[in-house]
Amino acid sequence: MIYKITIPEVAPDVEEIRVLEWHGGPGQWFAEGELIVELETHKALVEVRAGQGGVLRQILAEAGDWARIGVPLAVFSDTDDEALPASPGDGADLMVEFVID
Amino acid sequence: MSGEAKATTERMFFRQAIRRAVAEEMRRNPAVILLGQDVGAFGGSYREFDGLLAEFGAARVRDTPVAEAAMVGIGAGAAAAGLRPLVSITYMDFLMLGLDPLVNYAAKLCYKTGGRMTAPVVIKTTAGAKGQGVAHSQCLEAWLMGIPGLKVVAPSTPADAYGLLKAALREKGPVVYVDHKRLFPTAGEAPLAESVSPIGVAEIRRHGRDVTIATHAYMTSIVLKAADDLAREGVSCEVIDLRSLAPLDVATISASVRRTGRLLTVEEGQATCGVGVEVAARVRESIGAISSARLGALAAPVSSNPVLEAACIPDAARVATAVRALCGRAVPDR
Repeated sequence: MIYKITIPEVAPDVEEIRVLEWHGGPGQWFAEGELIVELETHKALVEVRAGQGGVLRQILAEAGDWARIGVPLAVFSDTDDEALPASPGDGADLMVEFVID
Repeated sequence: MSGEAKATTERMFFRQAIRRAVAEEMRRNPAVILLGQDVGAFGGSYREFDGLLAEFGAARVRDTPVAEAAMVGIGAGAAAAGLRPLVSITYMDFLMLGLDPLVNYAAKLCYKTGGRMTAPVVIKTTAGAKGQGVAHSQCLEAWLMGIPGLKVVAPSTPADAYGLLKAALREKGPVVYVDHKRLFPTAGEAPLAESVSPIGVAEIRRHGRDVTIATHAYMTSIVLKAADDLAREGVSCEVIDLRSLAPLDVATISASVRRTGRLLTVEEGQATCGVGVEVAARVRESIGAISSARLGALAAPVSSNPVLEAACIPDAARVATAVRALCGRAVPDR
């Protein structure tokens, strides 16, 4: 199954985030609880941790990039050989945990 | 897109522009110190001072008790003694506790000593409605515009937050620097190269023919939104972001009104004795009779109830209504 990471409104008033660091690249398996990416909002640092296991397939917003809330940042899948969708927004939401500093 | 041109700006959050300005000025001038509630380990109420304690140490980045009169008084005294304190007063509503040292001492010191002493203290504070109720929402900057010896600036973008705060930290006398609370979630381009924005210079954010709208701080984005809407009705608005309230850039506003023939002032604070009243009077003194109108908050306290808060302060629809009335335009059919 194909998944995506999007950023919901993780804190009040967050309209835009900046990607600080990806903790892995395409092809990497993330186990539940592992840190996937660190983001910055206007007020806080936010860790995005895997809430379910999955393979990172595509990074859509590189470190340093800015993204509006709700825009997909990455594509995941259950296994590393699944065909990627035409549009990265087509996947289901990967379960993630947001840890706000 | 050419893509090859070298970037001269970088995108940053509003708070990062503030942090950068303070850090650069603290590196440049060892006399710059920071005082305020939660400015140290916590990094500022809006995280706009993140990391400054680690870089500059507890002697230069000092947490204070909740005692605004003492904070401003210590800032004014330390400034008179040779330091350049940046005093963070979280909400402008509480600045009134510190008005005596600011108005009666800091602003008067240069005059009173025949120029032998100055008090270059910068008060950094926040104004504006953002769900926090009657005593945490006010825009009181107009109160401060008529104090000889005191300058007042209010940015609307990260670039100006950076440039104006740096300018304030190099001024000879006291400056009140006002951020609107709703600017903190915003991001924008700021120059990569170190730069300072001169105090007393307004910025034309949008060029237009039919009416000049003078505004400042967060209301600039509201007015620009209204100007977009009005453009679709064939009304061309020139939007001036004042940036500096004291001194006012009367030349820029007057030149614009001379072209458009009409002036609307928009502010989030009260219209009575507000920024707009002063702007309109100064423009009249400069170029003679003009057609003008003012828009500010309703004459009511700002509620923490979001419905009542929104009802109290100007929005794009109300700006558009005021412009149409001033220009004699009918409300368009929807």
